[in-house]
Amino acid sequence: MHIGSGFLSPPVWGAMTAVSGAALAVSLAAAGRRLDDRKVPLMGVMGAFVFAAQMVNFPVLAGTSGHLGGGFLLGVLLGPALGTIVMASVLVVQSLVFQDGGVEALGANIFVMGVLPCLMGGAVRGLWRRGGWAAYPTTFVGAAAGVLTGATIVILLLAWSGTLPATVTLAEAIGVMDFVHLFIGLVEGAVTVAVAAFVVRVRREAVFGQGLAAPLGEASA
Amino acid sequence: MTAYDRRTLLVGLAAALVIGGAVSYFASAYPDGLEKTQEDLGAAETVHGTVAHPPSLFEEYSLAWLGEGFWGNAAAGILGALVVLVLVLALGRILRGVRRTDHC
Repeated sequence: MHIGSGFLSPPVWGAMTAVSGAALAVSLAAAGRRLDDRKVPLMGVMGAFVFAAQMVNFPVLAGTSGHLGGGFLLGVLLGPALGTIVMASVLVVQSLVFQDGGVEALGANIFVMGVLPCLMGGAVRGLWRRGGWAAYPTTFVGAAAGVLTGATIVILLLAWSGTLPATVTLAEAIGVMDFVHLFIGLVEGAVTVAVAAFVVRVRREAVFGQGLAAPLGEASA
Repeated sequence: MTAYDRRTLLVGLAAALVIGGAVSYFASAYPDGLEKTQEDLGAAETVHGTVAHPPSLFEEYSLAWLGEGFWGNAAAGILGALVVLVLVLALGRILRGVRRTDHC
C-alpha cells in the first residue's frame, strides 16, 4: 500500500509529513521515558520480520496481490509508541534503499501503515496482556479494519492531491480500493493473530515487560 | 545482553532471514492492491513533482549486480532485514541512553 513518487501534491505530503513527524516526536519522547531493556531486541527482530514479511506478496483476486502491513501487529507487541518507531524505520529503509514508496510520500506512508494501525493495535494490547479468547477475534477484526481505514485514507490523499481522474467519483474510488483491501485485510487479520499469539506465548516478558519476573535461571541485568 | 535477549534475536532474525531471503522469492508478481486500484481507475500517471530516491545498491528488491533472480532477491531480503534490525537496535540503544540520563 506504499504511495509511490509523484502521486501526492506538495500541500498533502507536507501536511502528512507534519502529522507523522509530530507522532514520531511524541513516540520518541514516550519511549525515552519507559523503554525497558528487554524490549530493544524484540523491537529489532520485529522490525526485521515486518520488513521481510512485506516482501511476500500473496495473490488476491485476479491479477492483484497484497502484502502484510504489520503495523497493527507492532502495536500489539510493542505498544503504539515503539510500534510507530519501528514501522517508521521499516518504511524509511524501504523508501531510501529499495525505492518502495516515494521519498516525499514517507510521511503519508508512515501515517497509513504506521501511526494509524499501531494506535489501533495498541488499543487491544490489554486483551493480550490479560489473556483469554477475546484477544483473537478483536485482533483479527481490528487488523483488517486497520487495513481498510488505511486504504480509504490513501484514496482521500490521492483525491486531495488531484491525482484521481475526473471521471471517477470519490465513492467509486474508495469502493474499488476497499474491495481489494477487504481481502488483503482478512489475510492481515489472520497473520496478525497468529504471529501475536506466538510471540506473546514465547516472549511474554519482552512483550509486556515490567512487573514480571525474569525467566528461571537468569539474573535481571 | 542476557541469554533471553540473545535467543530473541537469534530466533526472530532467523525467521526474518528465511522469509525475506527465500520465501519472498515465491511472492506474487502481480501489482499490489493500491497499484491495481490506480491502474483500474486510470490514476497510475504521476502528476506531481517527485523527490528522487537516493542512489542505492538495490534496484527495488534485488541487489543490482546480482539481477532479479533468486540470489538478487535473497540479498535484498537478507541485507534489508539486517539494515532494519541494526537501525532499530541503534535507535533503542539511544533511547535507553536518554532514559538513563533522565534517571540520574
